[in-house]
Amino acid sequence: MNPRAADALLGLGGILIVLAGWELVARSGVVSQSVFPPPIHAMVIGLRKVPLPDLGGHVWISLQRIAFGFSAGALLGVVIAVAGGWYRVFGNLVRPVVEMLRPIPPLAWIPMAIVWFGLGEPSKVFVIFLGAFFPVLTNTWKGMSNIDATLLRAGQTMGLSGPELLIKVAIPATLPDIATGLRIGWGLAFGVLVAAELIAAESGLGYMIMHARQLGEVEVIILGILVIGAANLVTDWLLARVLANWLGKWQDTTRAE
Amino acid sequence: MRDDLSRHAAVLQGAGFILALLVAWEITSALGWLRPHSFPPPSRIAQGAWELAVRGFPEGVRVWTHALATLRRIFSGFVLAMVLAIPSGILIGASQTLDRLTHPVITFARSVATLSLLPLVIVWFGTGELSKTLLIAYGCFWVMLSNVIAGVKYVDPTLIRAARTMDTPGSEIFTRIVLPAALPRIFAGARTALGVGFMVIVGAEMIGTIEGLGALIMEARTFYRTDVTIVGMMLLGVMGVVFAIGMEALERRLLPWHRGLSEVRR
Repeated sequence: MNPRAADALLGLGGILIVLAGWELVARSGVVSQSVFPPPIHAMVIGLRKVPLPDLGGHVWISLQRIAFGFSAGALLGVVIAVAGGWYRVFGNLVRPVVEMLRPIPPLAWIPMAIVWFGLGEPSKVFVIFLGAFFPVLTNTWKGMSNIDATLLRAGQTMGLSGPELLIKVAIPATLPDIATGLRIGWGLAFGVLVAAELIAAESGLGYMIMHARQLGEVEVIILGILVIGAANLVTDWLLARVLANWLGKWQDTTRAE
Repeated sequence: MRDDLSRHAAVLQGAGFILALLVAWEITSALGWLRPHSFPPPSRIAQGAWELAVRGFPEGVRVWTHALATLRRIFSGFVLAMVLAIPSGILIGASQTLDRLTHPVITFARSVATLSLLPLVIVWFGTGELSKTLLIAYGCFWVMLSNVIAGVKYVDPTLIRAARTMDTPGSEIFTRIVLPAALPRIFAGARTALGVGFMVIVGAEMIGTIEGLGALIMEARTFYRTDVTIVGMMLLGVMGVVFAIGMEALERRLLPWHRGLSEVRR
């Protein structure tokens, strides 16, 4: 058997062991099944209480919020970091402000987000924005300040200067770090989603599971947790693929030139 | 010399800019251009900090009580995660079969946003201390576990082969080669885990408590005391930085042979 198939088989075995253990403990009667339901049972009941179209709606809303917050955070993070890394004075001014705000956990902004943006969509998107903004910014900045000086000098000998040098040499050299920042930022955006959706939400996966808690529907909570995990896993994988593709293309073109 | 000069210039520019921002903030507030509730001016925030230190918010619960409650929760969750993750990570990292068996489960468990477990732990364990500790432990555990596994797994095989040729017994290979080689990564994991702890605690403290900085900032907002909210946010930031620096110092003391390995990407 080839090693990849063996890996997949063993991995599947691991998942089955966890599910079987869960099933056994839940059925053993040590804890009531309404508090700790067995996995398949939880899925079935969960889907009965929140039918697939409703569940899909919650997923869709949550993904939209993440997409908006993440795009805004990633865009602004890259722009500020590129400008700060390239234009020294701008960097000197902005860096300390960023370093002061960065250690504040994104969730700690929730009360101010409510004060500034009210209880609607913008405050949720703002919290997700913060989750993505800082990792993208710091990684991009790190990339900008670690550009190989030889590359820049080579660019200059070929007659590039100013913005042209920035766009043709500096930014492409920073792309791998930007990619790292984007993936970390995406993960954090998912991490803060549930808390962001605690703000007076009426839809979204975070709302779904917190609402289920009030109704005591453990099955829906478990379904929601698994769906959030799966959504994170799938979208992160997609993002990794897109980024690898993008970086690969750029590396190929530099080689062709 | 020129580098020194430009570094001084950078610090001066940065400090000057922050100072200018604070002054502008204070003046625009005094002129009534910024609503004091949305953007409490620095002087108001300083008053809030003073009140929090002397009288407390809510009255009687002073800032130290909040900070200590938060630290205690992070610490207990963090330690619990360490105690569980280090031995299991070493075990998994040392065995190829175990590693392949657990890999998908660990990947999935890491993808589960820690705070999405909040409603579940509330149903299971109530809104008390145990729930908060467990949430933080969950977040720290998986980050830690992946780093310990990676640390043990990627020990340079040449080192191990070299030891084998010298007839070193297996247990000694483990304690004298694998463990020291894995420690930098384990430390990197601990640093990341601590960051996760600081992130999760704020969400965990938004429910079922009036003690702790997460509770403080939410509570202060409902009473229109955004100045106190901002003091709480600043404290969370400062505590996070202090602990990160402390961990780095500890690492430098304990692992003089290794400098700054960045953590496994989350």
